Amino acid sequence: MDSKNVFKSVLFLRIVLLMGLFIILVIGGFTYKHISDLTKSTKIVISTYEVNVELEHINSYLSNAESGHRKYILTKDTSYLEPYFDARKNINSSFLQLKKLTIVNAKQQENLAVLNNLIDKLFTNFSKTDALVKNDEISTESFKTQLFEEKIILDSIRKQVSEIIDLENKLLNERQKEYQSDLKFTPLFFYLVLLVTLLIIIIAFSKINTDLLKIKAKNDQLLIFKESTNQSEIIGKHGNWVWHIDSNIFTYSDNFFRLLGEEPQSFEANFDNFLKFVHPEDVDRLAKELDKMIKNEELPFVSYRIVQKNGTTKYLKAYAKAFYSADGQKRLLGITSDITDEIESFLVLEQRNLELEHNNEELSEFTYVASHDLQEPLRKIQTFISRLEEKESKNISSTGLQYLERINVAVTRMRLLIDDLLQFSRTNKPDKEFVVTDLNDLLEFATQDLAEIISEKKAIITSAILPKVSVIPFQIQQMFLNLLSNSLKYSKNDTAPIINIEYTKIKAKEDIHLNNAVKSSYHKITFLDNGIGFEQKYVDQIFELFSRLHDKEEYSGTGVGLSICKKIVDNHQGFIFAESELHVGAIFTIYLPE
Amino acid sequence: MQNEYIYLILADDDKDDRLFFTDAFSELKINTKVNTFNDGVELMNYLNKEDSLMPNVLFLDLNMPKKTGIECLIEIKANTKMSGIAIVIYSTSASEEDIEKTFVLGANIYIKKPDSFKKLKKVLSEVVSINWQYHTNSLNKDNFLLRL
Repeated sequence: MDSKNVFKSVLFLRIVLLMGLFIILVIGGFTYKHISDLTKSTKIVISTYEVNVELEHINSYLSNAESGHRKYILTKDTSYLEPYFDARKNINSSFLQLKKLTIVNAKQQENLAVLNNLIDKLFTNFSKTDALVKNDEISTESFKTQLFEEKIILDSIRKQVSEIIDLENKLLNERQKEYQSDLKFTPLFFYLVLLVTLLIIIIAFSKINTDLLKIKAKNDQLLIFKESTNQSEIIGKHGNWVWHIDSNIFTYSDNFFRLLGEEPQSFEANFDNFLKFVHPEDVDRLAKELDKMIKNEELPFVSYRIVQKNGTTKYLKAYAKAFYSADGQKRLLGITSDITDEIESFLVLEQRNLELEHNNEELSEFTYVASHDLQEPLRKIQTFISRLEEKESKNISSTGLQYLERINVAVTRMRLLIDDLLQFSRTNKPDKEFVVTDLNDLLEFATQDLAEIISEKKAIITSAILPKVSVIPFQIQQMFLNLLSNSLKYSKNDTAPIINIEYTKIKAKEDIHLNNAVKSSYHKITFLDNGIGFEQKYVDQIFELFSRLHDKEEYSGTGVGLSICKKIVDNHQGFIFAESELHVGAIFTIYLPE
Repeated sequence: MQNEYIYLILADDDKDDRLFFTDAFSELKINTKVNTFNDGVELMNYLNKEDSLMPNVLFLDLNMPKKTGIECLIEIKANTKMSGIAIVIYSTSASEEDIEKTFVLGANIYIKKPDSFKKLKKVLSEVVSINWQYHTNSLNKDNFLLRL
């Protein structure tokens, strides 16, 4: 879009320049023509003037000749004939001049010829008169006639001369008129042309001006962009470099120098200077990778180390891509980032992982010890008690037997606690496999495990058809078992337990419990019972480890079962919620992601 | 001779457990001969002796010093002379891991040591009266752990 505009603008300016040049040429042509016209007119005026002058000359020569002739007639002194002969010569030269001046005008030439004839006639007449004078025939009739003829000829000559002058003046007037009409249009034309030129120049100027403003705005943007690139390089800890491969010239961005621990542009950007910073062990590998970069034109990331002058080692990662300038020069454009922090945090993370693994090992060792070594003395105590009861019951008082019974209860409870704790710690293991499992099967297995207590309490368990879900099967089975055994455990003494399991599939946004849910849809499984329930205010406590709401003499829970359930749904990125009313029943709702 | 009594061996490092074991069989009305060893090394020394009598059923505790029950199991199964002995794992814990491992290694049954003498007698009498031929043929992971 922008480049199109620039192109249009250039085209426009070229057109304006061509038009301007054309107009100047036209003006030049017109000016030349008008000036040459003017010169011509001036010449014509001058020639008219000269014609007039020459004619006046001729007139005066004739007058001189005539007066000289008269004086000769009166005095018969031939010396008076001198101006007469001179006149003849002068008239001839004037005539030549006139002929030259009027060479373009046929009418004038004709007139001149008539004039010439008349003059010739006059001079012939003069000669005849002279002859009469010589012969002293002045008073003769023929002399008189001669003089009269002379007068007529002279009159005709004057008439002819004035005719020529008139014609010449007439011509002059005509030309003057013509010239003046030309002259009248010339300034108007010049003015118009000037106006148009001015207009074009103004348009061109404004166009250039707006283009300049646009370029300036673009320049400003570029400056901002450059500055933001600089800033982002500093914040993002990366720098860029260009390698002009054909001329082997490098340019490094300011921050590239900073990555190397140097002031911006503090040394000459070239390959050798750069290699001085590369970790000695990485030089060969990096050189090979750079060769590949040049050949392949594009290369995935290369990581290498550099050693700054102060001895700090940094990890850098580079990526480069070849690109060609408009004139076909090949360049590698590279981005190099400082990944020292990432590498270091990765190393720290690895260290932590090792520690964690170690801790886990310790934990599983503890689990083993708890399951095996802690159970063993308890089991033996139980066995010995059973032996005492069996073999020695006759030798022990009834109080003693009662004490033995209490010891047995305490030990049993201790074993239960250890078992539950073990189970809880096992649900912590992260490496369990998710398998798509039919939850109906898992519920069935859990129910089977509880078959004894179910038949004992005459419990009724009904369930909706559950879905197949990707779960850790034994954990979900454990959860079902814990929830069912919870309901059976905390049932009312006088009422047979009824446990109802419901299922719906829901969207996260449709359920207030799932405000913080990650997945969009969930399996909602609800366990409802008619047991003793609990007060809603304890709802937050029931999932805590070892937290119990009921008397342990009456109800045998360890306070671990629901904690295990919570742990299990956490492992499945699910949720578990409880609600209850005392003496009415409890509802446990489980959400498992689809 | 073997038809007259069942020859049983127990390898267990726990003195009390050995006592319960022998007491239980002395109280049970089954014709048995019980021999006990304190650890895996003692057991294997006995079994490896040329003239030792091979037991009908061998009860193996898993957690023993010097040589564990698992190590004994591996050695026994690798030895053709002993590989026919019915092996009962007799352990305090019944972790999934142990059950899985011993099953794969070829043990015949897994007993978790019970917490009363009555139960102990019951489980031991059940084990020795098993028709091993039949049990071994239908052995699978579900009936490997003996439940009472």
